[in-house]
Amino acid sequence: MSAHGPASHQVSVSLRRPLVYGALIVALAAAVVASLALGAVKVPVSVVIDTLLGKEVTGPERQIVETLRLPRTAEALAVGAALGVAGAILQGALANPLASPDVIGVTGGAGFGAILIIILFPGSIALLPIGALAFGLFAAALVFAIAWSGANRGSTGKVILAGIAVLSLFTAGTTGLLAAYPEKAPSAIFFIAGGLTSSGWEEMQAIWPYFAVGFVAAALLIRPLDRLALGDDVAASLGSRPHLIRLGAAIAAALLAAASAAIAGLVGFLGLVVPHVVRMAGGTSSHTFVVPASALGGAALLAAADTLARTLRAPIEMPVGPFMAILGVPLFLWLLRKVV
Amino acid sequence: MRRSALTALLVLALLVVPASAQAAPRIVALTPFGANTLAKLGVKPVAVGQTLGGRERISPKLKGVPVLTLSHPNGPNLEQLASLEPDIVLSSPTWAKGNESMGDLGIEVMIREPRRLQESYSQTLAIGKLVGKAKAAKELVGQIKKQVARARRDIESEPRVMVILGVGRTPFVFLPNSWGGDLITKAGGELLTGGVESDSGFERISDEVVVAENPDVIIAVPHAEEDDIPSLAEYLRTNPAWAGTNAVENNRIYISVDNSLLQAGTDVARTIRKVRRSYLDNWPG
Repeated sequence: MSAHGPASHQVSVSLRRPLVYGALIVALAAAVVASLALGAVKVPVSVVIDTLLGKEVTGPERQIVETLRLPRTAEALAVGAALGVAGAILQGALANPLASPDVIGVTGGAGFGAILIIILFPGSIALLPIGALAFGLFAAALVFAIAWSGANRGSTGKVILAGIAVLSLFTAGTTGLLAAYPEKAPSAIFFIAGGLTSSGWEEMQAIWPYFAVGFVAAALLIRPLDRLALGDDVAASLGSRPHLIRLGAAIAAALLAAASAAIAGLVGFLGLVVPHVVRMAGGTSSHTFVVPASALGGAALLAAADTLARTLRAPIEMPVGPFMAILGVPLFLWLLRKVV
Repeated sequence: MRRSALTALLVLALLVVPASAQAAPRIVALTPFGANTLAKLGVKPVAVGQTLGGRERISPKLKGVPVLTLSHPNGPNLEQLASLEPDIVLSSPTWAKGNESMGDLGIEVMIREPRRLQESYSQTLAIGKLVGKAKAAKELVGQIKKQVARARRDIESEPRVMVILGVGRTPFVFLPNSWGGDLITKAGGELLTGGVESDSGFERISDEVVVAENPDVIIAVPHAEEDDIPSLAEYLRTNPAWAGTNAVENNRIYISVDNSLLQAGTDVARTIRKVRRSYLDNWPG
């Protein structure tokens, strides 16, 4: 028994990863199909398929599938994957299981940027995604400037504390604006609560370069993050530069999280929990596995939650955050009980 | 004899003074409807609330009356309110939390923010009774009813209308139980809501419903300034989600920034006329 134990354990671990990938791909495919097929208006599946295949479809159904559901599904996939990856690389870089895009100030900054436009410059509402992106990145830059200067520059504790301070600063600004202009709060609530909109491809066209750079940077950081996981001293002895890896990971996460906020508002939970779920399910913390699996898991979760948010009380649309929690928390708690 | 007469006069005076004090309670009107109804009845409140959206809708008769800034969730600053020593506050459900605190201060709070035209008549009568001007209030209601009837004359076309609250591409629609929704119907519009109901009078609906219901007219109420109208109209016109709707194709997306569809007022007939002339295009001639 004892002779077979380690070998069978190794087999089970090596089998778990493909199994988890398989499960995530199935979940992602199911979420995409549901996202395209379901909505406030009943569109026959055959019409959905014909539209996607470019066949002749007339009437509002074509517009609903082509202009509303397809870009929204693509946005859900991009944002979900981006937040999953941002959380995975931040938790790795900061060696902190509670790290998420909130920690580097992006969420607070993006929220403030968006609310500033909604409340003070409603005439420039078209600039909302850019405002969220710019302030998200500005907040992250502030965190980096504080954390990578003075004593203990680039240390995990300093990054986290700087992040908390900057997040508090921007959150206070957002709350102040909402309190000062209460009548404009309804327009802002949806952004703060997080949720996708059906606004065609326009926003993605403006934001995709930030996603692209963030994803490429995250992919390039996978191996350095695995070395960093051995500890700063060991990583340095292997020729890595821990502070630089940490800074690179924080910048990549900031790009991904700010781009996500620009499109979907302040979507919490996903960036924090999805990396933990895939780590526990896969039985490994290797970034070679956790980063791509978090991308798949995040995309599947957000696409599924968004479908629920827009169909459960259709035609009323609800914020996506609570639905991600409904879908993700039971799985997270089950894994927590089984694995940890 | 002289002493008895003086005593009688004194007693009479003592009886009359409290009676007149009772007839003139100190009132703070937080809603434009409450403030303007009081003004039309010839009563000056001790203070009025700012107009939501920042556009002045308070009657010129109330010029010089202190204006209280309102913010969530309390409405007015409670210390500032208490210092005015009001007996009664005419408030709105928007300040639900503040209304409770005002009650704790011993102030009587009355909700005077009608969401339907019919409700505005009963609330006008209630305010009249409150300030001892029931007859004048009845006359005022009669006058408003006549004005509304004139403003609603000769409605021939009934365009399908969707009214959107706020800015951005997340449409909160006005429902029939909102002030603006009710007035659009009174102006001859067919209010499109996707069949949604909500106590709040507003609800966020799917863009799929906007496409499927295909409104002839979209009116946005964005809490913005006059200067913002062209850019907001352009922003909404170019919303890819609404492309193909009659409203976009016929360039019938309008922006209303004057608060008249958002909060009830006493200028109902004027608002109905404006909606018909400027948005629904069903005003005769």
